[in-house]
Amino acid sequence: MIFFSILIACLLGVVVGLNTPMISYTYSSYLAIAIIAALDSVFGGISSVIDKKFNMKTFISGFFGNAILAILLTVLGEKLNVDIYLAAIVVFVGRMFMNLGNIRRYYVEKWTEKIKNRTQKQKNS
Amino acid sequence: MKKGKITVAITITITCFALTTVMFMQFKIVKETDITSIETMREEELRTELANWKQLYNEADEQYQEKSEKLKEYREKQQSTEESTKLIEKELSQIDMYLGKTEVQGEGIIINIKDINNDEEIPPISAEDLLVIVDYLKLAGAEAISINEQRIVNMSDIVYVNNSIIYVNQQRILAPYVINAIGDSVTLESTLLGNGGYVETLKNIGFEVDIQRQNKVIIPKYNKEIGHKYIQ
Repeated sequence: MIFFSILIACLLGVVVGLNTPMISYTYSSYLAIAIIAALDSVFGGISSVIDKKFNMKTFISGFFGNAILAILLTVLGEKLNVDIYLAAIVVFVGRMFMNLGNIRRYYVEKWTEKIKNRTQKQKNS
Repeated sequence: MKKGKITVAITITITCFALTTVMFMQFKIVKETDITSIETMREEELRTELANWKQLYNEADEQYQEKSEKLKEYREKQQSTEESTKLIEKELSQIDMYLGKTEVQGEGIIINIKDINNDEEIPPISAEDLLVIVDYLKLAGAEAISINEQRIVNMSDIVYVNNSIIYVNQQRILAPYVINAIGDSVTLESTLLGNGGYVETLKNIGFEVDIQRQNKVIIPKYNKEIGHKYIQ
């Protein structure tokens, strides 16, 4: 049910995103940083689901809050003539890798256990 | 399904939707930016372009300023040469006038002297008489003098040949003698008339001398060449 709704939402998002009017290239860097922040939140959410620490409110606030904060920081960097978005990208991407590593480890452990169980069952039988 | 699970599903759906929407918007922008030109150009690129154009403009403007300044200089030079030419021409004409090379006119007096030929007791008007009158006129500040249409200049001669013929500017002149002079008419007249004036003396001798003050006396130009042969 959840995966089905996620799939539909993604397809809808593709359609809507491709049909929106063009935004000036000037703002695309803000959008990019917002996307990175949102992706970070998503991977963080998945990782926390795996750790069984998932909190809906935290996830939602992180998703939108991080995106908006990243945009604001980029704007501030533009005003100060400092590339703050680089720092944001480093932090977000670093966290993304950490979370991805977490997810990967979880699934690898899960599968190795499954395989162990299966071989043990075959031995038993 | 639990109620909480439904809300989780809905929120995750919404976030996924938002994320994919923004992502594909960005994809589209990035993809189209490569093709389209200025409208979607990055601000920095536009800035550098603008800076380039500004530099070009500045260079062109500088050149223009330089050229226009040069032009102005040339114009000024031209004007100054024109001015100096005018000035020189003016000076030249003035000098011509002073030398007597031009016909002049102005306020002055006309002196008519009638000679007496019949009377044997009185000698006729001599060159000396004319010379004295001319000298007096010069004393009175005359600016131009002529005797019988002969302009008196620096090198003019007034001579008496054979005690009978008067030559002025190497030309013979005959009575009646008419002396024109330009200058302050009152001064000129009073110098010649009055007590001790030479005209008065001539009158006393018996000549008919008549002085007229006029606002417009015309004096012709010196009609001989002024040149030099021996001056080195």
